[in-house]
Amino acid sequence: MGTWTQALLKNALDATAPILFAAMGGIFAHQAGLLNIGIEGMMLGGAFAGVIAAYYTGDIVLAVLAAGAAGAAMAAIFCLFVLGLRANVVVVGLAINTLAVGLTGYLLPTVFGVHGAFAPPGLRGLAPVRLWGIEAIPWLGPILSGHTILVYLAWVVVAATAFLLYRTVWGLRLRAVGQDLEAALAAGVHPVRLQVAALLISGFLGGLAGAQLSLGELTLFNKAMTGGRGFIALAAFYFGASRPWPTAGASLLFGLFQSLQFRLQPLGWPPQLLEMLPYVTVVATLVLVRVAEARRRARLARLVTVQGQRGPELGVGGAG
Amino acid sequence: MKLGAVTRGVFTAFLALVVGAIVLELTGRDAVEVYRLLVEQSLLSPGALADTLLNATPLIFTGVATAIAFRAGVFNVGVEGSMYLGAFAAAWVGFTMTEWPPGLLIPAAFLAAGVIGALWAVLPGVARAYYGVDEVVSTLLLNYVATSFTGYLVSYPFLAPGAANAMSPLIAPGARLTRIAPPSQLNLSFVIALAVAVAAAVLIYRTTAGFALRAAGSNPRFAQSAGIDVRATIVMAMVVSGFIGGLGGAGQILGVNYRFIQGFSPGYGFDGITVALLVRNDPLGAILGALFFGALRNGGATIQLFADIPIDLIHVLQAAIILFVTVEPRVTGWFARWRQRPTKLSGTPLPVRE
Repeated sequence: MGTWTQALLKNALDATAPILFAAMGGIFAHQAGLLNIGIEGMMLGGAFAGVIAAYYTGDIVLAVLAAGAAGAAMAAIFCLFVLGLRANVVVVGLAINTLAVGLTGYLLPTVFGVHGAFAPPGLRGLAPVRLWGIEAIPWLGPILSGHTILVYLAWVVVAATAFLLYRTVWGLRLRAVGQDLEAALAAGVHPVRLQVAALLISGFLGGLAGAQLSLGELTLFNKAMTGGRGFIALAAFYFGASRPWPTAGASLLFGLFQSLQFRLQPLGWPPQLLEMLPYVTVVATLVLVRVAEARRRARLARLVTVQGQRGPELGVGGAG
Repeated sequence: MKLGAVTRGVFTAFLALVVGAIVLELTGRDAVEVYRLLVEQSLLSPGALADTLLNATPLIFTGVATAIAFRAGVFNVGVEGSMYLGAFAAAWVGFTMTEWPPGLLIPAAFLAAGVIGALWAVLPGVARAYYGVDEVVSTLLLNYVATSFTGYLVSYPFLAPGAANAMSPLIAPGARLTRIAPPSQLNLSFVIALAVAVAAAVLIYRTTAGFALRAAGSNPRFAQSAGIDVRATIVMAMVVSGFIGGLGGAGQILGVNYRFIQGFSPGYGFDGITVALLVRNDPLGAILGALFFGALRNGGATIQLFADIPIDLIHVLQAAIILFVTVEPRVTGWFARWRQRPTKLSGTPLPVRE
């Protein structure tokens, strides 16, 4: 049973990495006041570019960077339409997703002559990294060691996101833009420049998420490979209220759900019900939080009116 | 300059086709030849035309469903979910109430589909209207719940006996819609779709509820102060939208598949968003928009076979259409301003959507 649990947890860490990258990407955009629904498409674009670059250059570092760059390039399109042409942010996000499916699906057969999955012979993905000191830890070692470098980098990105957003002036300004544009403007912040930067980071991280899928988890590309992970990431940062560490916790939970899906299926558990869990959890949370807020506000409003009515009787009005 | 919804839609579609032609030429294909084939294979023979109408049918349902919600200012991207649940409900009626006569069975299946689809939209509708929960996020995520849940239903409790893949048992012969142009699978659900589009147009343009819906969509504050219950209107729009989405699911099951198959919709709900955007949320326009995409899908499938042009090109066209539609007010605004006086645009902050 020990090995089963170990394999499950190790798998969960792998499954968490792309969600983490994409969710952190989502956070940058969301903290800047923009809902990046296109993260799924940026992921797919990154997965595609990563495989193509790895195939042509054979250089894995270049391939990962190309994946990030492809995500950022798609984010640049997003910027052009949302910030430059003031188009609706949701609609543009949908268009980015559609574009990613369309372009990769079109280019694969026409340029590379393959239908279905692109897995050319000689394509090399990311090698597992063995952490010498950690590997020796009993039980925990095999879970933590032996992942691709991107799995570890994902957690570095979480720390970096937390630092950038909450410990730097840049992060403060970015959050100000997202929370109160007028106030940010009044404070002399240039919102568009910050939003462009946030979106490009968002796209780059989305691209890295794709690289982990096409060069880490698997070593191939197919146009259905993101399979809604971008939306799981969306669910994660909504669940974490766009704060890095709670979002990372949610991503880990959802990664665990994903690996459970495949490991419980042979035991007769319906995978579809586990598949639903992240989405059900998040929608339920969103609704319950808002209902609780509304209740509290209503109670507060009642209190204020009661005091307001009593005020004149007690003669508080003049003192006010 | 104000143009009609249809004119603007045609112009947008034309621009998207130009983008498609550029992509084709860049990848070494003869765009003119591809488009000629596309027209030939989707319109120029009775069989091809019937298949185009067949492909357009689910998109009329989802396009109209989406348009109604958008008109009320609710960004419902969850028609796909309503469609999946509605489809399952219709299939369930079809394979359970096998003794019922067709005259009762078919309306019952459609009604069940509509009601389930509508119920599915109530939660995000109420959450948005009364508690301010972003409907984009809730409906988007609930789509995955709907597809997974129906997938579970037909993989476990309602798996057809002997079937390996996730599908329900076949519906009773009496529940199947008449095919109107064999050998094409085109069936009566196309006619029902047209009727639904007309009914939606009447609802929106000719009834008090429709007026409230449009008012709530174009200026909620004004609508509220004019005595319209904007919140109830939003919920109503979501319910009608979900109802029509559910009907679309029933149409596919009773007319084409004869059973619920997991993944039966290749994204009809999402295509419906493009249709609605293309025709600026006009229900009757949605018929034309759906025909355009039906022709693309039908012709695209054939040219994929014969000319080896991947059907994914349609997604590129779709993306182009969505982008063109969203910037159109901006571009026409520039045009209008340019005609009046050539002043420089100031850098006002963009409206942020939370």
